[in-house]
Amino acid sequence: MTEILLFAIPALLIILGALIVVFAKNPVHNAMGLVLTLTSLAIVYITLNATFVAMVQMLVYAGAVMTLFLFVIMMIGVDKPDQSKESIKGQSLLISGTLIILVAIVLFVILENGLNWDLFFPESENIIDGTPSLIAGVMFTSWVLPFEIISILLIVATTAALALAYEFKKSDSND
Amino acid sequence: MNLEIFILAVVALPLLTSIFLKISGKLLNELLTNFITINAALLSVGLSSFMFGYIFLGKFKPLKFEFFEWYPSPQIVIEFYLDGLSGVMMVLISGLSLVIQLFSTSYMSKDEKYTKYFEYFNFFVFSMLLLVLSGNFLVMFFGWELVGLSSYLLISFWYEKKSAAKAGNKAFILNRIGDFGFLIGLMMILNHFQTFNFIAIFNSSLISQPKNLDLIILFLLLGAFGKSAQFPLFSWLPDAMEGPTPASALIHAATMVTAGVFMLVRISPMLQFSEIGSLVIIGFGLFTALIAAFAAINQEDIKKVLAYSTISQLGFMFIAIGAGAYVAAIFHLVTHAFFKALLFLGAGAVIHEMHHEQNIHKMGGLRKKMPITSAMMGIGTLAISGIPPLAGFWSKDEILASVFSKGGIYYGFWALSLLAAFMTAFYMGRHWLLIFIKEPKNNLDNVHEAPKNMTRPLIILGVFTIFIGFINTPFFHGLEKVLEETLHHVEVTHLPEGLTLAILAILSIGAGFTGLALAYLIYIFDIISYFKLRIPFSSEIKNLSKNVIYINDFGNAVFVKGLKSASRRIAVNIEGMTIDGLANGISNYFLKSSKRMSYAQTGLVRSYVVYFGLFTLILIFIFLISPGVPA
Amino acid sequence: MIEVTSDWYLTLSAILFSIGFLGMMFRKNALIMFMCIELMLNAVNLTFITASRHLGLIDGQIAVFFVLVVAAAEVVVGLAIIVSIFKKQESASVDMLSSSKG
Repeated sequence: MTEILLFAIPALLIILGALIVVFAKNPVHNAMGLVLTLTSLAIVYITLNATFVAMVQMLVYAGAVMTLFLFVIMMIGVDKPDQSKESIKGQSLLISGTLIILVAIVLFVILENGLNWDLFFPESENIIDGTPSLIAGVMFTSWVLPFEIISILLIVATTAALALAYEFKKSDSND
Repeated sequence: MNLEIFILAVVALPLLTSIFLKISGKLLNELLTNFITINAALLSVGLSSFMFGYIFLGKFKPLKFEFFEWYPSPQIVIEFYLDGLSGVMMVLISGLSLVIQLFSTSYMSKDEKYTKYFEYFNFFVFSMLLLVLSGNFLVMFFGWELVGLSSYLLISFWYEKKSAAKAGNKAFILNRIGDFGFLIGLMMILNHFQTFNFIAIFNSSLISQPKNLDLIILFLLLGAFGKSAQFPLFSWLPDAMEGPTPASALIHAATMVTAGVFMLVRISPMLQFSEIGSLVIIGFGLFTALIAAFAAINQEDIKKVLAYSTISQLGFMFIAIGAGAYVAAIFHLVTHAFFKALLFLGAGAVIHEMHHEQNIHKMGGLRKKMPITSAMMGIGTLAISGIPPLAGFWSKDEILASVFSKGGIYYGFWALSLLAAFMTAFYMGRHWLLIFIKEPKNNLDNVHEAPKNMTRPLIILGVFTIFIGFINTPFFHGLEKVLEETLHHVEVTHLPEGLTLAILAILSIGAGFTGLALAYLIYIFDIISYFKLRIPFSSEIKNLSKNVIYINDFGNAVFVKGLKSASRRIAVNIEGMTIDGLANGISNYFLKSSKRMSYAQTGLVRSYVVYFGLFTLILIFIFLISPGVPA
Repeated sequence: MIEVTSDWYLTLSAILFSIGFLGMMFRKNALIMFMCIELMLNAVNLTFITASRHLGLIDGQIAVFFVLVVAAAEVVVGLAIIVSIFKKQESASVDMLSSSKG
């Protein structure tokens, strides 16, 4: 029972947060909805035995990334809310079409197979524990090359952000 | 020891020289170029003489050398074949190319493209050797095309001159007509005999009972007519004189133009079965000999006289082949190569000293200024006129006698050939007298004897011109023995015996002397104005001769203009409407449709997102409902 | 007794992803669209970790780290772009940006 509760409550919070993200009018509310989703996800991660990932999720997402978001919201101010009227021709039609197909697919799958997910791989007996030492042991041996490449990506992204934010004197005079 | 490989060495040496000169061309000055090319030519002469000696010791038993097999069935092999015929040609080519290169070092000096000239020259020698040493028709065709190419390169060597570039194009295009015939002949040979190999074809039983041998021969003849400048494909040769004179001497007098003659002698085992082929050869040969001799009489350019003379002499060789006197044809080829090279080099020396003045009417009296050159050219003139004991006498007399000995209609051919021989003596006499004897009109004080590098080759060739005739006289059948193995399937027309031969010889000597004497009377003694003679239609005849009985103009009017207007019509109608229309239409269609497609790019991120989601979902749906997929 | 299997987590992940995508289609504010992207990325992360537990392999969790880093980089660059857009047009609405229109 605790297991189900431990899944169901965070799951509900996740969906609630996500809906807030999508539907709230005020950007600060959206950001708070995102924080709700991300924190609840961290709980789900713990139930999945991924404790270190949950920790990083809290630190990086709920901490750093969200701070960045809020920082930008602060910088550009609370934007005027979206016009409720759709400005792109045919956009609403296409969105409803997409949603209909999505629902159709879900219904199709449910009608064909019921609610049973017949996963291709059977569940493993091996229970892993996502501790830092285990993750580090794998990441710095067999995954070391992608790790290095991703570090380059980070540096490039940082430089790009700098270049975008920096106000070049020349471009000022041109404007 | 396996000496066959040396055949390859003989062929490859000039090619390697040419490639070396090409690669290092910018680094070499004239002296280094001379060193390389002359030494290579010396080595080449040594090698080919050695090979000739080797087959001489082996009683001219042919040597074969298979380089590699290109294609197994039908068997196409790059192979070489050395017998008496190709041996003679090989020695002739490498020897003459050495002498002429010696001459060129002086003639071409201070030219900007000095190294390039020798590069092309060596490339020509390579192609010519490939042609004569080929062991099958295909390799021969390679050589055949490559000599065409190198001839083109050398004719338009001074391509800054428009006339030189045009002459090169003309030579190439007219040769293409001949090569086209040759190529068709090759295809028919492969179809008929299933092989290209000379020996296999000549030993084949199909040869004497062929369905379409006549047709094969006629197509090959077209090739020979093109390369050897016979009517109606001869007008490129006089224009080819735009090239450097030594190159003209080697290519357009001594070697390349004789390729047709060589080829016909090579296929003589086939040729002897084709009655029509022989008649066509002798007919066209005779016609060419007469026309060209007629045209030579009134040419003003020192080289053009020699060019028409070459055409005329080639006509003599064709007459010999048509009459079945293959040995006489090759004999005349050899002697002609020497005396014509001599005449050309002499003309080159004169042109060089006259500072590129080529009009013979502006010369005259050069005998005292250039004694060696004039003496050597005199020897050449006497030789080509058929004065004994110089080279031309023996070979030309042999041709005339062979034609006579066939009897019947050939008596007529003999008479016309004698007329051509007479005309030859006449125009060559005029040529020499106008250049060296006639009182000069212009001031020629600054004309001197040619430098030693020019006169020495002239002397060498002069000596050969005097003595080369003795290789095949009625008393000593040297060349006949050399070619015996090559022609052992072939029925060769032999000379008449005894008194007939003597009378024929006297007649041909008489024709030569009369021609020379007439030339002296008309051009030096000026008999026409002295006796106030009136020759009817003299100016018309002169025009006719000058313009080569308007064959060029006729060809221009009919072929060039006709083709031009036809091709313009094709260009406008077919090319313009259909092909361009199609191409433009397709590109316009793509332009318009891509314009329309680009409207889908709204530039709005959200519409992209929607389309992306929509089609991803559709893909998933298709994936789900397709059979065999576990949902 | 109902057991919490991998199916549940995967369903949750699918719902989260769909909501995120819905937001991408609906909202015009670039900032909120970025948040929706974060939602979708997190849905993917959840799938990875579920798979990691399901298959008994640690590599799924490693992949999460990479997604995390890429997401962070993307947020950094994306937010910088949003700031510069805002400087230009005083609004973060993406509907006004159509310079790549065909």
